[in-house]
Amino acid sequence: MSRWEYIARRLLMAVVVLISVSIITFLIARVVPSDPAAAWVGPRPTQEQIAQAARQLGLDRPLYEQYLRYMRDILTGNFGVSIRTHQPILRDLRVFLPATLELVLAGMLMAVLIGIPLGVLSGAGKGSLLDHLTRLVSIAGVSMPTFWLGLLLQLFFFSRLGLLPLSGRLSTEISLTSPVVPITGMYTLDALVAGNWVAFKDALWHLILPAFTLATYPIGLTIRMTRSTMIEVLQEKYILAARAAGIPERTVLFVLALKNAITPTLTVLGLSFVYSLTGAILVEVIFAWPGLGSYVTDAVLSVDFPVIVSVTLVVTVFYVFINLFLDLAQAAIDPRVTLQ
Amino acid sequence: MTEPLLSVEDLYIRFKTYAGTVHAVNGMSFHIHPGEIFGLVGESGCGKSVTGLAVLGMVPYPGEVIAGRILFHGENLLQKNRREMEQIRGGRIAMIFQDPSASLNPVFTVGSQISRIIRHHRRVDRHEARALALAGFEAVGLPDPARIFRAYPHELSGGMQQRVMIAMALASGAELLIADEPTTALDVTIQAQILALLNDLRAAQGVSILLITHDLGVVAETCDRVGVAYAGSIVETGPTAQVLYQMKHPYTRGLLEALPRPSHRGKALQSIPGSVPSGLDLPSGCPFWPRCPEVMDICREQKPLPTRLDEVGHRVACHLYSREGQR
Repeated sequence: MSRWEYIARRLLMAVVVLISVSIITFLIARVVPSDPAAAWVGPRPTQEQIAQAARQLGLDRPLYEQYLRYMRDILTGNFGVSIRTHQPILRDLRVFLPATLELVLAGMLMAVLIGIPLGVLSGAGKGSLLDHLTRLVSIAGVSMPTFWLGLLLQLFFFSRLGLLPLSGRLSTEISLTSPVVPITGMYTLDALVAGNWVAFKDALWHLILPAFTLATYPIGLTIRMTRSTMIEVLQEKYILAARAAGIPERTVLFVLALKNAITPTLTVLGLSFVYSLTGAILVEVIFAWPGLGSYVTDAVLSVDFPVIVSVTLVVTVFYVFINLFLDLAQAAIDPRVTLQ
Repeated sequence: MTEPLLSVEDLYIRFKTYAGTVHAVNGMSFHIHPGEIFGLVGESGCGKSVTGLAVLGMVPYPGEVIAGRILFHGENLLQKNRREMEQIRGGRIAMIFQDPSASLNPVFTVGSQISRIIRHHRRVDRHEARALALAGFEAVGLPDPARIFRAYPHELSGGMQQRVMIAMALASGAELLIADEPTTALDVTIQAQILALLNDLRAAQGVSILLITHDLGVVAETCDRVGVAYAGSIVETGPTAQVLYQMKHPYTRGLLEALPRPSHRGKALQSIPGSVPSGLDLPSGCPFWPRCPEVMDICREQKPLPTRLDEVGHRVACHLYSREGQR
């Protein structure tokens, strides 16, 4: 099977997955005891107002018809309106999704840049001082509550040292003097593209603490995962042969061994990426970061079903593509893997 | 005779393990002349493989060389630092291993692996490295070198993989090739081809070979001189013909008698009684005495030193021939 054929088949399967996910989410959001029509109208509604809202929202129709209408709208690019805020969901997503993506991508980048090298070195020096230190770091990273770590970092880097901003995505004065023109919605990227260095630096400084807080868990996972596969790979004969051929140790570890050991780490990173899209809520709250996590949490608490279904579909799309990407990456890394 | 290319002198290697100290190599000495194929034979656990690794400064943890010298062109390799050894390994002394399919990295093409080694040692650009690699493939008799260069290891047969390993080992102009059981994992016809190739390369490029094996047939076919190792030291050494046909040491004799032979068809195979001593707990004196049919009192107390038997360098470490043993 050619690579393109494989991709086409996977995308077809993705459509099936998306339809199933939308049905399940829609049903769950609708079977919980709540009255969207009443929520739509606001506090202290009359029976008539509720009935009118129900008609307006199509809630008086059979459930399958509601679902079909909802899906038809989504396919035409209309994600509907939030029950709670009456705001178009697409407009909300344009703000919250890029903010979350910026945060999560920065966190994943940190996990790659910190976790993989530390994992390689502790795998190579199993039982060394570094290995014990990274074990401590990764256990702490995986088990320390996010909100606690976030608060500590704020206390230290903002209150004590005054090095980094407390929260938000941009300082008020910067957003007034050199505002970021949204292109992707990721401030650092947009400022960089526009050559707006002042705003870039400010946005980057705002990003560091929340991204690091978010990254501690994947850093811990990455270190442990990379370490254990490295230990296995370093036992292989081809590593001995490479060393016997005089290849410098740095190349042996970071090129020859790492390429054999990287796949499980990529899988873990991919999964934590998708998880963080909505799982970053605590980080978003502590650092006042207007992201998808807070958005969907509010929606869940008020049974705002159009928002819940929309966000779920967006996350599912990411999940499907990340998985496809991981499978393609694995095949690209290891020629013995066949796509089927 | 000329100065030896490599000489291992009175080498001791031990491994500190939880079970105790394993004395893997105990006074190993041998030398290899330029252009010579020297066979180091012995059973599993006699210290032959770890001696090969020691030459490259690669004794695996927790092993360590505790005494002896390894002279290459008269320079002691045990005193080289890491950077110097990275130049010597693969550049001047190369090594190939038993299982070629496991010795090649599965996720890189054969071409990228050999180019990396060539570029590390010769400081050439990508194109020159490729040209050298293709020439190397041709020298080891691989058909269609350009295709091999692009291939991944799993796309090649075992024999081709071992040829690739040999090409890799020699691509940077190594003077000494350490071949640790290079044919054990291959079937018999391929085995013969690889041995013939090693012989040809010795003739064509003048490379010396340290052939580590347990197979006396391989030794008889290929080696100029041979050393028989037992419990970490050489018990008998000399030109292959002398050692194999006029063997003196009771262990060598036992080994040769244990070989199946057409003339002995129908009779039970001979074997040496007892088993190889553990490096954890070596017997005092000669390590072979508990299994030796001709053991004397002195053997239990004193380790025999090599005694020279003739002018061609046949030596044996056995009290049957030592001055002490003659008294």
